[in-house]
Amino acid sequence: MKKIAFTLLMLTLTLNLFAQQADVEMADTLRSNGKIYVVVVCIVLILVGLLGYLFVLDKRLKKLEKKSGDKN
Amino acid sequence: MQLAKQVIYLIRKEAVLEWRSKYALNGVLLYVVSTVFVCYLSFVSIPNKLTWNALFWIIILFASINAVAKSFLQESKGRHLYTYLLASPIALILAKTIYNSLLMMGLTLIALFFYALVFPFQPETDIPMYMVATVLGSLSFATIFTMISAIASKAGNGGMLMAILSFPIIIPVIIVLIKLSKNAIDGLDRSVSMDDIGLLVLINAMVMGVSLILFPYLWRD
Amino acid sequence: MNRTWWKILGAILVVYATIAGLLLGVPRLNILNETIRNLYFHVPMWFAMITLFAISVVYSIASLNRPNEDYDRRAVESANVGVVFGIFGLITGSIWAKYTWDQFWSFDPKQNFAAIAVLLYFAYLILRNAIDEEQKRAKISAIYNIFAFPMMIVLVFVLPRLQASLHPGNGGNPGFNTYDLDSRMRMVFYPACMGWIVIGYWIYTIRFRIRTLEDKQL
Repeated sequence: MKKIAFTLLMLTLTLNLFAQQADVEMADTLRSNGKIYVVVVCIVLILVGLLGYLFVLDKRLKKLEKKSGDKN
Repeated sequence: MQLAKQVIYLIRKEAVLEWRSKYALNGVLLYVVSTVFVCYLSFVSIPNKLTWNALFWIIILFASINAVAKSFLQESKGRHLYTYLLASPIALILAKTIYNSLLMMGLTLIALFFYALVFPFQPETDIPMYMVATVLGSLSFATIFTMISAIASKAGNGGMLMAILSFPIIIPVIIVLIKLSKNAIDGLDRSVSMDDIGLLVLINAMVMGVSLILFPYLWRD
Repeated sequence: MNRTWWKILGAILVVYATIAGLLLGVPRLNILNETIRNLYFHVPMWFAMITLFAISVVYSIASLNRPNEDYDRRAVESANVGVVFGIFGLITGSIWAKYTWDQFWSFDPKQNFAAIAVLLYFAYLILRNAIDEEQKRAKISAIYNIFAFPMMIVLVFVLPRLQASLHPGNGGNPGFNTYDLDSRMRMVFYPACMGWIVIGYWIYTIRFRIRTLEDKQL
């Protein structure tokens, strides 16, 4: 579980790095092709966020399952 | 009729209590004056209009949090019960709000006087308009903080919660206030500021309405 | 609302909005270029957030009128999910802003006010944590929620219209006000909003169900 969370974290961090490196040069990928990659970054962010949220919910549910398993 | 009588009675009670223990009132006054003085010592003079305006509102903001927060937070349990038996909750919140509005109006005008004493008004300021802005500002601070302090006092741990709960709500008001008072400082035509005044009055009316509806729920235990 | 059809509907709408949003034609505008497509992803977040907060307020009102654990749980969980969508909106918005207005945070009224609106609900959640006794917590937080909601409406819908903003529709920068949001974009934009609102509602029901189970087990 922790590993997955860590990977996700690293993924988002590197995405940020991409964005930061990108703004040094003007003719970079995020600004090329009609800035379509900005849209891509946004979609990816929403997806990653939702997926991460899913993992959090999953964890809560697992705890519940464990507890109810103990009872029965 | 009954309600009006109760409200007047409660306001008078509040004022008498305040007057007897002059500590709170004097404390807030001293707070304002010394803050202005500290600002004077650290800034010496403020050539920039924006800074002048912002500093004034920051002083008022913190002074009003201190002044209004005590209205519910400082009440003892016994006094709670006493007023609860005595008056209807609507009369109570009306009385508290009106009393706090009067208090705040006096406080801000005194603060403005001292502030203008050490940092003179900018040359082209429309002073009456600025006074209108301060009065409106003190009204909105009073209405919002009264309700929030009631909530915070019921929640049990006072000062910290008061700040957290009130800042997000007070920010829109402050933004409008700063805009309005900046119009006054720039000496713009008064018709320009009418929108903002209308909006402030609207926000005040809304806050008053909502707190009148909600307070009875909060008050009964 | 335990049936499945609306969840499938939401999923289809979101998938449709993503595909159509990336492929269908959009107006050619100067600074925006292709980022105009972000309209289908960034703006629906706000719609979902507002809807969830509205749900939260409705249940707060209900729980004030008839104190009930269920209503209270619904109010918290929808506020929780609403905050998450608000954060998505803020992040995507600031990235979009970086490549069109050149700064992650340009002092734009809508950006600021959206951030404050999210703060408001953080305050609500903190208030809930500060009170231990359950019934008292339900009552007081419901009151704060109802007190804060009209302020948030003023903040998000009224104030930005009074100030110059970089956001489209104010201050005359190329955007998609009534003239520009052409029929092609409407075809995607409305389904996208609908879809994300449904998805937000779905997540909220899941959280609500988990919360109910958790409380029962305690």
